[in-house]
Amino acid sequence: MSSASPVADVATAPTEGRRSLWSKALYKFTRDRLGMGALAVVLLYGVIAAGAAAGLWGQDWAALSDATWAAASADHWFGTNRIGQDIFARALYSTRTAFEVGFVVAIASTIVGALLGAAAGFFSGSWIDEIVLWLMGVLDSIPFYLFVAAIAYAMKGSPFGMHVAMVATFWTITGRLVRGEVIKLKGQEFVEAARAIGVPRLVIIGRHILPNTFHILLVQATIVFVAAIKSEVILSFLGLGVKDSVSWGLMIAEAANEVQNGHFNNFIWASVFLFGLVMAFNLFSDALQDALDPRQVA
Amino acid sequence: MSGEPLLSVDNLSIEFSTERGVVRAVDNVSFDVRAGETLGIVGESGCGKTVTGLSLLRLIPSPPGRIVSGSIRLRGKDLVALPERDMRAIRGRDISMIFQEPMTALNPVFTVGNQMAEVLRRHKGLSRRQALAGAIDMLHRVGLPDPARRVKEYPHQLSGGMRQRVMIGMALSCGPQILVADEPTTALDVTTQAQVMEQIVALQKEFDMAVILITHDLGVVAESCQRALVMYCGRVVEDAPVKSLFATPHHPYTSGLLRSVARIRPDRVASLPVIPGMVPDLANLPDGCRFRERCDNAVARCAGETPVLDAAPVGEGVVACFNPDNAASGEPLS
Repeated sequence: MSSASPVADVATAPTEGRRSLWSKALYKFTRDRLGMGALAVVLLYGVIAAGAAAGLWGQDWAALSDATWAAASADHWFGTNRIGQDIFARALYSTRTAFEVGFVVAIASTIVGALLGAAAGFFSGSWIDEIVLWLMGVLDSIPFYLFVAAIAYAMKGSPFGMHVAMVATFWTITGRLVRGEVIKLKGQEFVEAARAIGVPRLVIIGRHILPNTFHILLVQATIVFVAAIKSEVILSFLGLGVKDSVSWGLMIAEAANEVQNGHFNNFIWASVFLFGLVMAFNLFSDALQDALDPRQVA
Repeated sequence: MSGEPLLSVDNLSIEFSTERGVVRAVDNVSFDVRAGETLGIVGESGCGKTVTGLSLLRLIPSPPGRIVSGSIRLRGKDLVALPERDMRAIRGRDISMIFQEPMTALNPVFTVGNQMAEVLRRHKGLSRRQALAGAIDMLHRVGLPDPARRVKEYPHQLSGGMRQRVMIGMALSCGPQILVADEPTTALDVTTQAQVMEQIVALQKEFDMAVILITHDLGVVAESCQRALVMYCGRVVEDAPVKSLFATPHHPYTSGLLRSVARIRPDRVASLPVIPGMVPDLANLPDGCRFRERCDNAVARCAGETPVLDAAPVGEGVVACFNPDNAASGEPLS
């Protein structure tokens, strides 16, 4: 969970191939100041999340104290909430929650989307494609929060109900993009050439076609990462998300009662943390997309 | 021209289902290839020559394509009936193919060595290191300069000619008996074309393999092939040794093709001769001879009956025509 930087994975990505594309993209990315700044912010959040996961800080997020609704002070940097919990610790620990949800959902939905999308694209027009497209259509047509609520009830008690619901809905976008790219790639001669030397189809999909879609998968994973964090906040606010832990969404849910009484600390800090991460991650994602756009790189 | 043919294609028909109905892209095509021979397949775009080439490795996209009848025998073994698994073992080992477009025929995300090694590892079970050594050796033989460095490079770092050499090296690395070359030089510039063709011919002697050269370039056929098939609308219209094909073409279509080749002529011509008319729509073919509507030699019989190869006696080859050019003496036509 705590490997802070998705970019570090990219440099040594299993493709290793297309060194030129990756190295050109890296060059282009490093010259994008906004993107680099956004990456620095994302990395800072990553360090916060890693520290919280490793037990370095934010561990007393649940500890109660007598000082309720305290203002910001040296003891409680961001003040305390209604039952005297330290808002600074809660905000830090929530970063960990956000990254956990982001990573799990981004990785799982990218894998599912890549595999099903590639299968549908390679066998486009066949029954496999029909089934995958039908599945995507059905999942896309269910209103997201209704779907999550249904799954959360169905998986009552499991902390992963929210994750399952998000993966089940987010993979379809990745799947569609991969399907389209694979349909394009499978018509290229290197696929025919691979068949002409006797490579079995499944090996062609895995070894020859999928590595050519890594740039899409990477960008898509970062987009899903942000979407998952935002959805987690909303779901937690609605009481469908995080339980037995703390998240920015839960903090904002608490704040819903507090702001009427003039206590803004919970609301402000949870929003600032959320906004900072989402904004930075979006800018990073945009910069990555620009850097990896084959039309501009090649 | 003696001995058992290495590859024998017999009455091969291939159909594609399209939105406009079933299209027969290859219709009753038969030909033999002998060991060490170079056979040219010529014809214009859409005449079925590429589909014929792909069918030899059973690489026809299916669906929509389908071999509906006929056989392809490699040393007597019918490839049409072979299960996909056995066919995979033949691809790249017994029959190899090189493609027209060297720019896209190599996977952009893998090094040259990586891709070449795949063939050797798959068919010869070599280790990664042995396969890489084999790849370097093969690239050396196809005339790629500095192969030890090139194997570590990616396709985009090579020129078109180099890439085509890599493709040839990959195709030949398991020592196939037959190489199917589909327009191998079309995408290259003229000087590179000559070098690549020379290399293919030299390697053919070295490996003692048969080459099936699919092209629309009659010059390449004249230079490199011993025998050529001329295809028109999915059918073979003439099959003859190259020398006699060029000296005395028999099918009116072959004659027309030869006349319309741009070349330096002693006499100035006002315009290059062309074959009148249009290629008929494959989904809506006329009865009888498919060339009849464009043909000066057409006789009444052409409309009703389909001419088969050796419809009329001619010199050294066979021709699917009732009233051929340069007909052999005797046998008056009806």
